[in-house]
Amino acid sequence: MNVWFRQHRFALGAALSHVRKAPGSFLFNVLVVAVALALPFAGVTLLDNVRPLSEQLSVDPELSLFLKADTPREQAQALAPQLQQILRGTHAKVSFVPREQALATLKDKSGLTDVIETLGDNPLPDSYVMRLEGFTSRADAARVDGLADQMRALPGVDAVQVDSAWVKRLAALLGVLRLALLLLAITLGIVVIAVVFNTIRLQVLTQREEIAVSKLLGATDNFIHRPFYYTGALLGLCAGAVALGAVALALRPLNTAIAEFARLYASEFQLSPLPPLAMAALLAISAGLGLVGAMLSVQRHLARLS
Amino acid sequence: MIEFQSVSKKYSDSANTLALADVSLNIAKGELVYLAGPSGAGKSTLMKMVAAIERPSSGRVIVNGQDVGRLRKAGIPFLRRNLGLIFQNQRLLNDRHLLANVMLPLIVTGATRAQAEQRARAALDKVGLEGRALALPLELSGGEQQRVAIARAIVNRPQIILADEPTANLDRAAADKVIDALHAFHSVGVTCVISTHDDQILDSAARVIRLEHGQLTGGAA
Repeated sequence: MNVWFRQHRFALGAALSHVRKAPGSFLFNVLVVAVALALPFAGVTLLDNVRPLSEQLSVDPELSLFLKADTPREQAQALAPQLQQILRGTHAKVSFVPREQALATLKDKSGLTDVIETLGDNPLPDSYVMRLEGFTSRADAARVDGLADQMRALPGVDAVQVDSAWVKRLAALLGVLRLALLLLAITLGIVVIAVVFNTIRLQVLTQREEIAVSKLLGATDNFIHRPFYYTGALLGLCAGAVALGAVALALRPLNTAIAEFARLYASEFQLSPLPPLAMAALLAISAGLGLVGAMLSVQRHLARLS
Repeated sequence: MIEFQSVSKKYSDSANTLALADVSLNIAKGELVYLAGPSGAGKSTLMKMVAAIERPSSGRVIVNGQDVGRLRKAGIPFLRRNLGLIFQNQRLLNDRHLLANVMLPLIVTGATRAQAEQRARAALDKVGLEGRALALPLELSGGEQQRVAIARAIVNRPQIILADEPTANLDRAAADKVIDALHAFHSVGVTCVISTHDDQILDSAARVIRLEHGQLTGGAA
C-alpha cells in the first residue's frame, strides 16, 4: 500500500512538474475548458435558483370564484353546498375567503399597505378558492372549463378564474430548460474531453523519450499513464474552479439588474451562488471529464508509441 | 541464465529482413560475454530479445528460467527490473540532472525518494561521477554520459547487464574507462553481455560470441 501511495505521489508530482515547465500552455488550456464549462454551470446556477419558486407553485388547477361586492355574507356562505354539488365526483378542496382576509393577505404580501389604506373601504369581494387534484391532461382542462361555466351561472357570482394554466406553462418551460441544459452540458462535456484529449496527446508526444526510457527501465503501464491522468484531472479541476468563479462574479452585476426588475413586482428575488455541496459536485464532474479525456488520449497515443 | 533455443527473428519490413537465423546459445550466471560482428550482424536484435523489446519469430529465449517470448505484456517490466540496459546513445533524459536520471529505475519500482537518492549517489560514485550529480547530461562528455548510463543500469542491482555498443563514438581513454566499469560489476558476480566491434576490447575477452548475417559463427557454447 505504501508503494501504491508513493507511486501516486510521484505521479502527482510529475504532473505538477509538467505544469510548472509550461505554465502558459496549461493556463491557456484551463481557460479554454473553463469557457466550455461556464455555460452549463451558469445554467445549473439559474435552475437551482428558479427551482424553489416553481416547486412552491401548484400545478393542480385552481378555480377562484369572486362574488359580487354587494353580496351579503350569508348568501355568500350559502353558496358552498352548491359548489360542492357542482364539484361532486372530483377531489376538490374548497375554501371560503372572506373579503377581510383577502385584504389582510394583500397587505401582507404586496407591501403596498400605505396605498391600500388610502382606499378607505375594502374593495375586495368575498371569494372561494377551489383546488382540484388529479386534473393534469388536456381532457381535464376542458372539464375544468365546464365546471367554471356552471359556477358562473350561480346567483351572486361576479367572475370565475381558472388559475393553473400559467403554472403549467412555467413547469413545462422549466422542463424544456432542464432538457436543453442537459443537452448543452453533454455537448460541452464532449468539448472538454476533446480539449484535454489533445492537450495530453501533445504531452505524450513531447515526453516520448522519457516514456520509452522508463519502459526500458521496468516501468509498468500504470506508472507511465498515471502522471497524464493527474494532468487531465488537474486541468479539469482548475477549469471547473475558474468557471465557478466566473459564474459567481457574473451574479453580482446580474443581481443588480434583477433587483430593479424584481422591485417592480414587490419581490426581493436574487440569484445566489450554488451551495458548497453542488459546487463540489461540479468540480468533481470537471475533474472527471478531464480524467476521461486523459484516459482516452493515453490509451490511444501510448498504444501507438508502443 | 540466458538461453537461446533455435531462435530466428524476421522483421516484417518491406525487405523481410532476417535478423537472426536459428541461433542457439547459452550464457551462464556470472559470465562476461562479448558479442562481436559487423553492423547488421544481429547483435542488437539478440540483446533486444533478452530484454523482451523484440520477440522471436520462432524458437525460445529463456532468461532466468522465464520464456521471454511467451511472457505476458504485464510481466515485461518485472523482467526488465532484473536487467541493466546500456545503449550506444545512452538515452539519458537531458532535462534532468544526473542524479534524477540514475534514480529513475528505483522510482519506477516504488522506492522512496530518500532510498533512491542514496543508492543513485552510490552508483554515481562507483563510476566516478558523484561530484557531478547535479549536472545535466549535456554538460558531460560522451564517455561521462556513458558512465552515467552504466550507473543507471546498475543502480537496481540487476542480475544481468546488457550493453549494446557502449564504447561506440568514444575515444580510447573513455572507452577503456567504460569497459573497466563494466568489468568491475562483472567481478562482483553480475552477468554481462557486451556487444562491440572494437577489436582492441575483444583481444582481452574470455568469451566472444560472433555473429554474421544473423548467424552464429563462433562462441555459442
